Amino acid sequence: MARAFKNTKRGFTATLESAERKLLRGLFQDVIQLLEPEREPDEDPLWAMVGLDPHAHKDHFAAPSDPATRRLLPDADPDDPIAALEFRRLSERGIRERKIGALREAAMLMDSATIVLGPEAAPRFAAAVNDVRLVLAERLGLETQEDAEAIHAQDDWSKADTVDEYLALVYNFVTWLQESLMQAMLKSL
Amino acid sequence: MTAMPDVLEHVEQAQALQADQPYVLIVWNDPVNLMSYVSYVFRSYFGYSEAKADELMMQVHQAGRSVVSTGTREKIEADVAAMHGFGLWATLSKADAA
Repeated sequence: MARAFKNTKRGFTATLESAERKLLRGLFQDVIQLLEPEREPDEDPLWAMVGLDPHAHKDHFAAPSDPATRRLLPDADPDDPIAALEFRRLSERGIRERKIGALREAAMLMDSATIVLGPEAAPRFAAAVNDVRLVLAERLGLETQEDAEAIHAQDDWSKADTVDEYLALVYNFVTWLQESLMQAMLKSL
Repeated sequence: MTAMPDVLEHVEQAQALQADQPYVLIVWNDPVNLMSYVSYVFRSYFGYSEAKADELMMQVHQAGRSVVSTGTREKIEADVAAMHGFGLWATLSKADAA
């Protein structure tokens, strides 16, 4: 059984079973794939370094079409589509790169059974886990408080027959892990 | 031939007015983000006290949205980018329209 995050002298620590780590690593990698910008083979690496998208000023530049990606990168200005797109031109690539960095770090942390997070790594891990939950929630069609409660009520792995039932249990596991980390982090503020 | 400078000056004034106008950061409720996580982000990123962060978080949760910071458009754009980095559903708006 997994042991939740708690404050220790070494930092925020949790212990996860190998199957749980494998599951989480796969989820982090799935979200990285959603966020990875389409890169030209001959793209100057400077674009990525400064967080800009070489396509940002082309006519076809638009908000992401996948709803889960869009939830990770929402419109900044819902009243003004032109301003919202301008915000994306300037900020979206940088936000994607930061998220991908946190998700890669989180995936690598799944290599050992004990997860140890220092004060700087903990918020990045929390954000990576949160992005995983946002994507799972989108795939599950979780939109209202009632949906959230119905998903939360599912707790029996032996009864998970459908993909959605399995995803709901995965979502609950990731939620449990993040909540334990947040309680430990709040205590240390 | 004297029209050009006048026009330019006028445009500059209009831009200056827009830049001075206060903007707000709005954080919206969603059923995914944990209350503990939202509180943590408000405390750690904005430096709000526990009481203030919890009050804003409860406002998001109960009223559906909360104005979490106010400032120039440039500052609020940076706040929105930071909130999206954390995965919170945040938007910006002119202060008088919020």
